[in-house]
Parts: sequence; C-alpha cells; structure tokens
Amino acid sequence: MGRVPLPRRFRLFTALIASALLALLVTGTASAIQPGGITDEARKMNDLFWIVTIAGLVVFVLVAAALVYALFRYRRTNDELPPQFHGGGAIEMAMVGVPVLIVIGLFTISMITLVEIDDPAEDDALTIEVTGFQFSWQFAYDLSDLGTNTDPNAEGTIAVIGTPANDPVLYMPVDEPVEFKLISNDVIHSFYVRDFLYKLDLIPGRENKFTVTARELGDFQAQCAELCGTDHALMRFVVRVVERDEFDAWVADEAARQLGEGARVSTSGTQGD
Amino acid sequence: MATVAVPQLSGYRRPAVLEWITTVDHKRLGILYLYFTLFFFAVGGILALLVRTQLAVADNSFVGNDAYNQIFTMHASAMLFLFIIPVWAGFGNYLVPLQIGAADMAFPRINALSFWMLPPAGILMFAGFIVDGGAADGGWTAYSPLAQQTGVGMDMWIIAVIVLGMSSTIGAANFLVTMFRMRAPGMTMFRMPIFCWTMLVTALLQLLATPVLAAALVMLFIDRNYGGQFFDPNGGGNVVLWQNVFWFYSHPAVYIMILPGMGIVSEILPVFSRKPLFGYKAFVFATIGIGGLGFSVWAHHMFTTGSVLLPFFGFMTFMIGVPTGVKIFNWLGTLWGGSISFPTPMLFALGFVSMFLIGGINGTYSAAVPVDFALHDTYFVVAHIHYVLFGGSVFAVFGGLYYWFPKIWGRKLDDRLGKLQFVLMFVGFNVAFFPMHMLGLDGMPRRIAVYAESTGWEALNMLSTGGAFLIAVSMIPFLIAVVMAFMRPKDQPNDPWEGNTLEWATTSPPPDYNFDSLPPVRSERPLFDARHNGEGH
Amino acid sequence: MAAHTPAGHQGMTNSMLGFILFLASEVMFFGGLFAAYFIARADAPAWPPESLLTPEQIADGVKLELEVVLPAISTGILVLSSVTMQWAVWQIQKGNQGGMLWGLFISLALGLIFLVAQLYDYTQLHFRADDTIFGTTFYTLTGFHGAHVAGGALFIAVVTVRALGGQFTAENHEAVEAASMYWHFVDVVWIALFTVLYIIG
Repeated sequence: MGRVPLPRRFRLFTALIASALLALLVTGTASAIQPGGITDEARKMNDLFWIVTIAGLVVFVLVAAALVYALFRYRRTNDELPPQFHGGGAIEMAMVGVPVLIVIGLFTISMITLVEIDDPAEDDALTIEVTGFQFSWQFAYDLSDLGTNTDPNAEGTIAVIGTPANDPVLYMPVDEPVEFKLISNDVIHSFYVRDFLYKLDLIPGRENKFTVTARELGDFQAQCAELCGTDHALMRFVVRVVERDEFDAWVADEAARQLGEGARVSTSGTQGD
Repeated sequence: MATVAVPQLSGYRRPAVLEWITTVDHKRLGILYLYFTLFFFAVGGILALLVRTQLAVADNSFVGNDAYNQIFTMHASAMLFLFIIPVWAGFGNYLVPLQIGAADMAFPRINALSFWMLPPAGILMFAGFIVDGGAADGGWTAYSPLAQQTGVGMDMWIIAVIVLGMSSTIGAANFLVTMFRMRAPGMTMFRMPIFCWTMLVTALLQLLATPVLAAALVMLFIDRNYGGQFFDPNGGGNVVLWQNVFWFYSHPAVYIMILPGMGIVSEILPVFSRKPLFGYKAFVFATIGIGGLGFSVWAHHMFTTGSVLLPFFGFMTFMIGVPTGVKIFNWLGTLWGGSISFPTPMLFALGFVSMFLIGGINGTYSAAVPVDFALHDTYFVVAHIHYVLFGGSVFAVFGGLYYWFPKIWGRKLDDRLGKLQFVLMFVGFNVAFFPMHMLGLDGMPRRIAVYAESTGWEALNMLSTGGAFLIAVSMIPFLIAVVMAFMRPKDQPNDPWEGNTLEWATTSPPPDYNFDSLPPVRSERPLFDARHNGEGH
Repeated sequence: MAAHTPAGHQGMTNSMLGFILFLASEVMFFGGLFAAYFIARADAPAWPPESLLTPEQIADGVKLELEVVLPAISTGILVLSSVTMQWAVWQIQKGNQGGMLWGLFISLALGLIFLVAQLYDYTQLHFRADDTIFGTTFYTLTGFHGAHVAGGALFIAVVTVRALGGQFTAENHEAVEAASMYWHFVDVVWIALFTVLYIIG
C-alpha cells in the first residue's frame, strides 16, 4: 500500500472509536426522535427501550470493531497459508455462553417491565369505549362510568365519531387512570398512540383492554396501525389530554348537545350498521 | 406446445429452447430458477420504487390508496414467494449435487416439476392487476377478515401461493433425499459443505411448515368462496386463528429465506480468508437450533393482539438470538488470523455479516415485549425485516452470483464493476433503510399510503426514497458486468478462487454428468486438502 | 447413481424415503386443519354451537347433529381395507401375485364403498359448510380426507393395473408398499377424524 502501517494496538483502538462514534450518532438521532412517552406506562417502556438500545449498541460496537480490526489486521499480504484453526471447546462454549447471558438478562428485564405496565384499572376508573371502523373511530363515554366526579345515576352515553376526512378527538383527563376498551365489527384495526408508546389491536369477536395514566397535557397525533383497507392511512385521530375540569366541562357540553336533542348515541354499533 | 415428438438420434441436438423446457438436469433447472427469480427480483424492485416514490413527500397522490395497497402487497409477495424462497432453490439445485459429488438430484423429473410450477403461479399472482378489483391488497400477511373483502385478485393470490408452496414442499423432499442418500464416498454428514447443511435445515422447515400455510390458505379460500366461518366470529370462527396458522408457517419461512444465505456467506468467508470455517459443528448446530426454535416463536408477530402468551413467546424469541450470536462468532473467528483478500464475492459476504448484525440487534427490540408494543407495525419493523432479508439475503444472493458465476457460466464477472455495485448497493441500502428505524420510533405505521406534512416524517422519507433509487442504480454495473461476461469466451479454470468444496473439482461449467473423477473426501474441504496434501488437519 | 448410494442405506430406496417425507408434509397439512378445529371448539360456549344459529337458519331446518352409526360402519370398512392392503403387501413379499391381486381388489372395493357411504352420509346431514364453524370444520376436514381417500384409491387402482401386468415380484414391489403406506396414512387420519368429530363431538 506504500503507507507506514499503524501500530496494531492503535488500529484496534481506531476501530473501536470509529464504531463507538457511529453508535453514538445513532443513539443521538434516536434520542432526538424517540418520544419519551406521556403516560406512566410509556415511561417505563421507554426505560426498557433504552436498556435494550444500550445492550444492542455495546454488542454492535464490540462486534463491528472486531470485524473492522480483523479486516485490516489480517489482510492478505503474501501467499503463505495462515494457521488452519478450526475452533475449540472453550471458545465455542463462550460463543454460546455470552449470547445466553445477554438474552436472559434482557428477557428478565423486559418481563419485569411487562408486569409493571400490566396494571388493570379499578372498576370506578373512566372507561372509554373505542370502536374502530373502516375508516375512522368512535370514542364513547358512558356517563355513569366517567371516573372522578361520576354521577352514578347518570344515564346515557356520548360519543365522538370521526370520518376519514375529519379526525376525531379523544378527550381524556390527565393524572388519572383511564381504561380503553377496544372493539371492532368489521376488520382488525390497531389503536396506536405514539406518545403512549403503545398499541393494541381491535379485533372482531374480541374485547381488548388497557389502562394508562397520562401525565402531560396537550394534543397527540395517533392513527390506526393495522392495515384495514383502502383508507387505512386516513384513519387518524387526536388524543387530547386535558385537566379534569376541562374534561368535565367538555362532557357536560357534549351531553347537552347530543342527549338534549334526544339523539342517544349507541356505544356498540358502528357507522353503516 | 404443438410440436411433434422429436426423434432423439445420437448426434442430433433438439432446438435449444426445447432442450431448456424439457430439461431434467439439475444445473439447467438451477439456472432456470435463477433467471426466474432474478426477473421477479426486478419486478418486485420496480414495485418498491413505486412505493418509495409515493412516500417521498407528504400528502402525495402519485398512486391512489387502492393502488398503493396492491403495490406493496405485490412487492412483498414477489420478493418473498417469487424471489427469495425460490432463489435458494436455484442455488441449491445447481450446487447441492455438485457440492456432495453427485451426478444429479435424487428425483430429476420431480425437480423439473418443482420449477415448472413457478411460472404459472407467478403469472396467476400478477394477473390480479388486470382483473376487476385489482391484485391482492391485504398485505402479504393477508390478515382476515380484511382478506375476505377484496376482489378475485385475492383468490388468484391464494391459489398462486398454494402452488408455490407445493413446489417448495416437493423441492424440499427432493433436497433432503439427495443430501441424505447421494453424498460422495467419504463425505459423512459432518463433512458436508456448510451451504448444503443450511439447505438441509431449510428443506426440513419447508417440508414441515409450508403445508400448514397451505391449510391456512385453504381455509381462507373456503371462507371467501364457500361461506366458511373459520375466521368469522359471528359463526363461531376466530379472527386470530388466521394469524396463528399463518405465522406458524411464516416465521419459519423467515429462516427459509435467510439460512441458505448464511450458508453462502459461510462458503465465501473461509475461501477468501484461506482458513476453515471457525466452529463448523457449532455452526451446524446453530443452524439446526434456529430451525427448531423457528417453530416456537410465531406469536411474536402477534404481541399486540392481546391474545398470546407473552412471556413464553418473548423468551423463545430472545433464545433465537443465541444461535444467531453463535454464527456471528463463527464468521468473526473465520476472519481472525486469516489471510484476507477482497474480491467482489467477499465484499458482499462481509456486507451480509455487518448488515445481518444490525438486523439481529434491531430484532431484539421486538423480542422485548413492552418495546414491541411501541414498535410493532411501524417502520422500525420494516427496517428490521429489510436488514435481515435485503442486507442479509440479497447481499448473499449477489455474493453467491459473483462467487459461482465462473462455475455456472464459465466466465468471470468484472471485479471493478462488482465492487462499484457493492459500494452503491451498500450505501443505497443503508440510506434507504436506516432512516426507517427513526420513522418507526417517530410513530410512522407501516402500510400507510399517505402521511400528513404535520407529522414531520417527510425529510427521512425523502432520504429513504433516495437510497432506494441508489439501490436501483447499483443494478446497472451488475447488468453491464453480466453482458460483458457473456461477450467473452468461456475461459474459467476449474477452480478460479482456490475453493474448498467439490464443485471446484470439475470443469467450469461442469459436463452433463458433473464429474470425471472425484478427489477423496477426508474433511469438509476436499479441494483444500487436494491442494495442500491434507496439511492443516 | 447406485455407485453413490452407500451400502448401509440399502434397506430403503430413495423413492421410499422421498415418499415418507411427502407423507410428513401431509401430516402437517392435516395438523393445520385439526388445529383450526380445536381452536374453534375451545372458543365455543358449547359444542355443537347451536346458539350461533340464526333464526333464519333454524327456520330452514338447520340442525348441527351428526349421525354416528353409518360413519362407525365406514370406519370398520376403512380399517378392514387397511388390513387387506397390508395383506397384499405380505403376499407379494412372499412372491404370491394372485394373493396380492386379491388384496388389492378388495382394498380398492372397500375404499370405494367408504367414499360412497360418506357421500350418502353428506346427503343425510341437516347443515352445510356455511352453517357456523361446526359445518365449516366438519366439511373441510372430512372433505379433504375424502379427497385423499379418492387419491389413495386411484393410487391403488394404478398399482392394481400394474399388478395385472405382472410388474411386481417378491424383490421388486415398491409401488405396492408405497400405496399401502399411503392407505394406512389415510386410514389413521380417518380414525383421528372419527374420534374427534363423532365420538368426542
């Protein structure tokens, strides 16, 4: 090559640094993009995400550095045959042992997180019944199941129904557990809120549930994540997390508007039924 | 064919076309497989470019939502069912008999049948574009009940996939018998070339998993056409049943799509490192391990259905990481201490190792169940599958083509053009698919035809589209290299690379009967032994 | 080719090994269909799932009931045909061509009787394939089995024609053994079907 070869140790070091820099670049971009999540559950899942990411990056840096180092260090320079090494017991045991340890560690941590976030709501928590249909959403609230401030004698339900052209808004109060009940009567949809770091499918013939406690106010874009037909991409909605007062005021307004006119909204049908 | 039977007189050659159509020679069938699959690689690639063009900018109306669903469905169907799965049958057909020192496959006529089931199936699947309602548009996963709403193109897709499945099932039985029964004297199972081992495990997976897919497709067909209730909850059916049965096949299918690629890489790395494969037996057992575990992880595609045993499938999915990790060690250990040169096949093999490393690491995100809740069905998963199947399998396909081109066609592909292709493809691939990780983290679901500008996904999508077109450009030097090669005479010696395995012991290309004589087989590297008089063992 | 077959493998020919592998894939196919049936049963509140019938279906006289006597007789016929088939194999192993022919004829006849009985049974049922998952799984499982019986009968018929031509000897009768294996496979699948659909059901 005509260049002065670098000392071997230095080359290994360079390979490590280069891989680490690449990994840092990736991590930096990921952290700029990956939302931290707005719910208690999402924050726990986010922690797990970073544990997996760090473990993955360590593996990547070590393997990539070893690979790059080997490619420079062991370039063919002459026709001499290198030692014909087939591998041996101890190294092969390590080949199995190291991945087993990494994998069991990651599995254990992810199961701990899974148990932590799987925390069913109390019966008196607000329940929002989400119905997915081709191609939008209905969010129904039973007036006797509104969580805090519920009037147990209230009757009727209010619902928000969207269209592909008009994204529905899902109102939910901050700082209290909210249970989502997911149903579909046509095809499979998936309720995916990026900032929940969570999605759960709406499956005909099944009723799926999950509970989250939101900790941040604001509007959050969300959409269907399971291919459901022509306008799947337009099956968007907005999650609006508001203070409890504001939520109550919104419910009161909607109840007056929807039920005052005598138009009781069904909770179980879908549009077009 | 309205031709009269041509009398087979000695010295008389039938027209070349007829020779090819009626051939039962494993080498010719292998070449037919390669032509067929590379054609559909091009078709699938064009569909991919349409997808990327549509997604390049926000709120795009380049293709409509309906057409988009058909295009990405057929992109995946072409790439998986008509390219990757049969391309290994192509390499396997050409190479397995040569590598084990046999004159042909065990059942040459059944071999021809396996191949000739492909073209009608491919045509049937793509004829969907010209029927009412268009081609299949429910994704290659064809989730029910959505798959029951679409037009007759879906039925054509179902029949095509069943036929392709039959082809790969009988092909698998053929490979298994060939490898079990027709190895050269001295070639024990543990002296069999590593590519053959990966084909063996692949064939086992195909034999046992593909019929389950056929059962699922039959059920879907009955539901669609005869009022069946398999997937209809109103009649007592179960929507998730489809996913269970489909993934019971389709997860092993992912290994069907990658294991022979690993085999090719494990043939190339030792040759150009001038060392044996590090940990041959460990590699074999890891391959078997991946195959076995492949049958117990299907539900990791279904973590968000709320209907699967999360800890079990999470654990089994992580466990897949162990044999996968072993293979990475195998490859590193092979390079370590070697004498490494970098012709084009080696570059593609190294591209495979590095991209597959990323595809392995980003796969663990989906094994960690709570992380999968966020990433499932987003572009992160699209990135993962392409790092495995493009960064992995496709790089291996090109590595294999450059490596065995001299053997198959007697000519060498130009090395400079090959390196140019590699660089363009490697850069294009990473530019196209790395941003998809970010898009997935940012919440972009897969299979959406449009996204709003307010999502902020446009810049990364544009970048990704640029990468996709760079991949397309990288095919130009390849095509030039192929044309240039065919303009030259067949000038390749038996063993242009100093290979290890028996295919290099015969002429390039080999005669009809493959071998005049075989060297003795005393290790997994008979040709190396012959060159070096067995030293090193 | 024979030169490449190591001596230790002469117990079984390549064709027989390939055929066994083919049967393994058939087992997986039926495994997929059975899995669907078991999942449906596990989901159902009761079996047969009468509660899923719509008023229209009930008005049409749909009843999710199976008649067990005729299928029980059919089961006996099919098991008997498996015995006669095996007998045919044993006869030709001893070089007795006449005995083999009788075995083949009787097996083929019993197989055809089984098919006719099953078709007759279909006409006696008060439900169709589109009457709930019960009807769908019943007709899919028995229908695919029936198709395999028909295929097996065709296989035996071809073997019988070849036997009439005197093509088999004590040393060379692989096709008879393959047909017999296939017939046993079809028989075993039926016994599983009969147990699951008629006895447990």
